[in-house]
Amino acid sequence: MKSPMSIGLAAASCLSMLAALFMVFAYVPTEAEQGIVQRIFYFHLPCAWVAFLSFGIVAVAGALYLWLGHKIWDDLSYAAAELGMLFCTLVLVTGSIWAKPIWGVWWTWDSRLTTTFILWLLYGAYLLLRAFADDTDEVARFAAVLGIAGVLDIPIIIVSVRLWRTIHPAVLLTRQGEHGLEDPRMVATLLVSLAAFTVLFVWLLWLRLGTLRLRARLAKLRKDLALLEIAGAHR
Amino acid sequence: MNHLGYLGAAYAIIFILIAFYVIVIGRRQARLEREVRRLESALRNKEPAPTAEGDAEGVSGRI
Amino acid sequence: MLEGFGPILRKDLRLELRTGESTVALVSLSVLILVVMVLAFGPGGARRAEVAAGALWIALIFAGTMGATRALLAERETGCIRGLLLSPVEPATIYAAKLAVAMIFMAEAGAAVLIVLVLFFNLDFGAALLRLVPVFLLGIAGLAALCTLLATVSGRVRAGAMLLPVMVVPLFAPALIAGSKASAAVLAGASLASVATWLKLLAAFDVLFVAAGYLLFEHVIIED
Repeated sequence: MKSPMSIGLAAASCLSMLAALFMVFAYVPTEAEQGIVQRIFYFHLPCAWVAFLSFGIVAVAGALYLWLGHKIWDDLSYAAAELGMLFCTLVLVTGSIWAKPIWGVWWTWDSRLTTTFILWLLYGAYLLLRAFADDTDEVARFAAVLGIAGVLDIPIIIVSVRLWRTIHPAVLLTRQGEHGLEDPRMVATLLVSLAAFTVLFVWLLWLRLGTLRLRARLAKLRKDLALLEIAGAHR
Repeated sequence: MNHLGYLGAAYAIIFILIAFYVIVIGRRQARLEREVRRLESALRNKEPAPTAEGDAEGVSGRI
Repeated sequence: MLEGFGPILRKDLRLELRTGESTVALVSLSVLILVVMVLAFGPGGARRAEVAAGALWIALIFAGTMGATRALLAERETGCIRGLLLSPVEPATIYAAKLAVAMIFMAEAGAAVLIVLVLFFNLDFGAALLRLVPVFLLGIAGLAALCTLLATVSGRVRAGAMLLPVMVVPLFAPALIAGSKASAAVLAGASLASVATWLKLLAAFDVLFVAAGYLLFEHVIIED
């Protein structure tokens, strides 16, 4: 039972992703310093963009749930948290794979990676809370508060980690390709990739939201059925 | 692993994880849809008059 | 606006004075964590200011998350939360009072840890310790704000006690960075002015989370 919306989003996502892949592997020039490994960047950064965007959605949807009370906001918050965790994990993994050939280590306390790691921990805390608790309105509110606290924290985390790093300049390399994209083809590729990941994110969010809504419908149906059984038993 | 290997690994992981997620969600969706259809027909069989359509919005405050 | 703050605070403190349970538990837990750290790392060397600062904050975080839970859990056990909620006191005021209580407990634990630190690490009782006090107070304000807000969650969820540090630690991370960096510098002899950036960061953190807690607490305080 695929709705036109989900088919449309799936198609848009596949097309834009193909376009991005084409640009990354056939269009953009190889970067001088780092060689072909630098191409990881064109998918690594969009994953980070989605991870942070998603967290914003977790918090805003959570706040709307606290304010308006309609369950769909909580569902959106939860879906965004799952996706955010997925993409945050991808950032860390691709970042690590990128770091190994360039810096020789699997992990480094670079300020961006550290901030992303803390974000990953925040996502983990949110999902653990949801996993351990029952699916009640109360827990939804707790999760919303956690999400809001998290998003408020992010600017401070970014600042503190950056300050923390400047005291240890040992591994303060900027990976060429994060700023200083000289070639306009690199900028274009990055933009296409960002767009592709955003569309992918919207599609996945739509999919996940669909299953959560179905679950809510299922719960209601079970309740209706149970009430009927009780009514029937009394006749 | 030479540089091409790292590049391939990074992109492969991205697609594998995303594909995995899509498949898991897809299967869960299918399972939920089957269950919903089953319950809906069960409801129709129990009641002679059709029940009011379940509110697909799912208002907050579920049990 | 803050009516009821005084009575709730006094009630909790009086309860604590009567039994001293929380204080004993917190102080012993934090000293214990410290002992484990010293045994694991060894107290010697030129890096002792950093290790001492780190040990202080580690002990505070884990003892602190436990302490805030106790401040609220005491009421859960006696069913007192409903009473609090039925009273004309605003939830936000309850938060402020609980926050103050949590800070007091953390300060007690911190003082004990500091004494032990001085002894174990052969630090000097002097100006450096005095300069540590504002860093410390700024730090526990933020920690107390987070713990008090989230302690209700830990009380009402399975494995809540384990979940509380999982939630608090990533949120507290920037303050932890700032606090331990500033503490290490101060213990090594630096002036407060030189760690001003870290102090400002801590202050911003505190303002943000005390305000957030104040506004959000009503959504998490739920009667049993």
